[in-house]
Amino acid sequence: MDYLYDGSFDGLLTCIYHHYYNETAAGIYQQEYYQPTLLLSSVAVCTDPTLAKRVYQAIEDKISANALVKVYHVYLSSSPDKEELILNYLRLGFKLGAKVDLYHSHSAVYPVHKLDRKVTAETHRFLGLLRFRDSGNFLYAALSPDHHILTLLADHFADRLAGERWVIHDQKRNLAIVYDGKGHCRDNSLLQFKWYLTNFSYHMQADLPPEESHWQLLWQHYFQRISIESRCNPRLQSHFVPQRYRRHLLEFQIPPLKQ
Amino acid sequence: MDVLTKLDILAGAAKFDVSCSSSGVARKNQGGTGNAKLFGICHTWSADGRCISLLKVLLSNDCVYDCCYCVSRRSNNIPRASFTSRELADLTLQFYRRNYIEGLFLSSAVEKSPDHTMEKIIQVLTLLRKEYEFHGYIHVKVIPGADPSLINRAGMLCDRMSVNIEQPTEHSLRLLAPQKSLPILYASMQQLKDQILLYKDDRRHFHRTPRFVPGGQSTQMIVGASQDNDLTILHTTQALYKNFGLKRVYFSAYVPVNQDSNLPALTSVPPLLREHRLYQSDWLLRFYHFKAEELVDANHANLETEIDPKSAWALRHPEYFPLEINRASYEELLRVPGIGTKSAWRIINQRRVVAISADQLKKLGVVFKRAQYFVTCKGIYPGNMPYNPAAIRRLMLPKPSFTQMSLF
Repeated sequence: MDYLYDGSFDGLLTCIYHHYYNETAAGIYQQEYYQPTLLLSSVAVCTDPTLAKRVYQAIEDKISANALVKVYHVYLSSSPDKEELILNYLRLGFKLGAKVDLYHSHSAVYPVHKLDRKVTAETHRFLGLLRFRDSGNFLYAALSPDHHILTLLADHFADRLAGERWVIHDQKRNLAIVYDGKGHCRDNSLLQFKWYLTNFSYHMQADLPPEESHWQLLWQHYFQRISIESRCNPRLQSHFVPQRYRRHLLEFQIPPLKQ
Repeated sequence: MDVLTKLDILAGAAKFDVSCSSSGVARKNQGGTGNAKLFGICHTWSADGRCISLLKVLLSNDCVYDCCYCVSRRSNNIPRASFTSRELADLTLQFYRRNYIEGLFLSSAVEKSPDHTMEKIIQVLTLLRKEYEFHGYIHVKVIPGADPSLINRAGMLCDRMSVNIEQPTEHSLRLLAPQKSLPILYASMQQLKDQILLYKDDRRHFHRTPRFVPGGQSTQMIVGASQDNDLTILHTTQALYKNFGLKRVYFSAYVPVNQDSNLPALTSVPPLLREHRLYQSDWLLRFYHFKAEELVDANHANLETEIDPKSAWALRHPEYFPLEINRASYEELLRVPGIGTKSAWRIINQRRVVAISADQLKKLGVVFKRAQYFVTCKGIYPGNMPYNPAAIRRLMLPKPSFTQMSLF
């Protein structure tokens, strides 16, 4: 039996629930991308938050909190067979408990660890490789990451730029994190930051406020001045800032400055 | 002079400072702008492949000192500029809220006197921290010879401080920077160390004790400007870690900027590979339980350039190898070329539940092409030949580049 889910994390966990309490899953697929086969029947699983919550709790209690984070990260990745990897990992995990993460080179564990590392690493990269611009009313940043990392970035910027209003726009998935500057609280009593994940398709106008162009120009100059010519090493630079990220990076938008 | 011109001059003069790390301090936003992350964040990489994490500028390049290796030395005829504290604070904050940078790296030429310069630095820090409520990362250079009370005041406002010793010995420092001397620099370092310990201890007893230089102190040495060999440099490095509890010692391959009889010629190339090998050794000292005496000695006063220092050590000490992966301790595993701190930790973890065979090593993050010659897995030696250090060395050396044979 193939289980089909709606693409949400809760939906995926509901499928895991049915795998254990109803018929064993041959595979879990996202409904949109499923290709029916002649041999196996399929059923579209209705996402049920209470069942999902039970699986969520079970992973935390019977495997480990760490494993839950890993599973969530793999779910956020853009790997085509991520559902299968999660299913295999959890099946082994429910057998072995917290020890499952010690089997680094096991074929059910290794790919999960690897994807988890990729998503974590990309998140870390984008903490730095994100450029806001001030449109006058709010700060706007665009990015096209490989994995769906918006929710992992949000808390960081909600703390850092607590008093600002900002939008982080994932142009690949047409999603955005919107923060209204009101999670900012001086006595730290408010623990939850108020940001929202929404559908978003908006394009910033090309013309910038003069104030903004001034700071952009300063940054571009700084970026050129800080490199030492006799140590020039474009290969090393590409290693850290791959070409696919440069589209959204202000400092890579200009021809080299004359010395 | 407008801010753009000043930034051009003062960033151009600051680029030879190496340190750009923003790690080691975790701080939440306490109502204002900014926070600090324990792991540090790089924001971009410049054309030379070095990361840009902090806004690295000089407050002023108008120097009274005359250090041979420095582009801002008094006797050079170059444009001079100084930021006002508000200009610099605005620049930092505006760059920061656009997520260009992680904080400020503030250094300065010695303008008038060390105390005068240090006071101007404190002005910038006070403006940023108190008026702008900026909680991002700030790294401050200690101006050599500044008054201890000024250093203390700056330390309360910043995250990391550094005293650049520039040269590993008093002799070469005297030769290249006649106004500086090691005992004065060491005194500042000692003061920082004592104060950091004092405040740390106080925090254990009193919750509200403010933090003093929570990110610790670091320093920098120029490599290749003087005649000092790697033996001297690494022993000085080790002594600095031991005596002053430094977080990092940075090495900077000398880029020729001035013509001087005590310096390499202007046409000489910066010794980048040597710098790289020194950094590798530095990592061995800090994370791999190596001692400087093991990496360099009187017979090998300079590090090999063709082979990394850990492989070179392993090839000089064949008696330790091959090592059984499933039995060796963490410290022993760290000595194997191709095994790092993370892969050693994974090996220890996995073998608690299942014995490790050679085909699994790659999945554990081990660099198999180097490690294969130095380990056995379940008693089997995975290198495709008998264990023989001389033959291994030949295989590990970089391949010679082939050229077309001449016809005549």
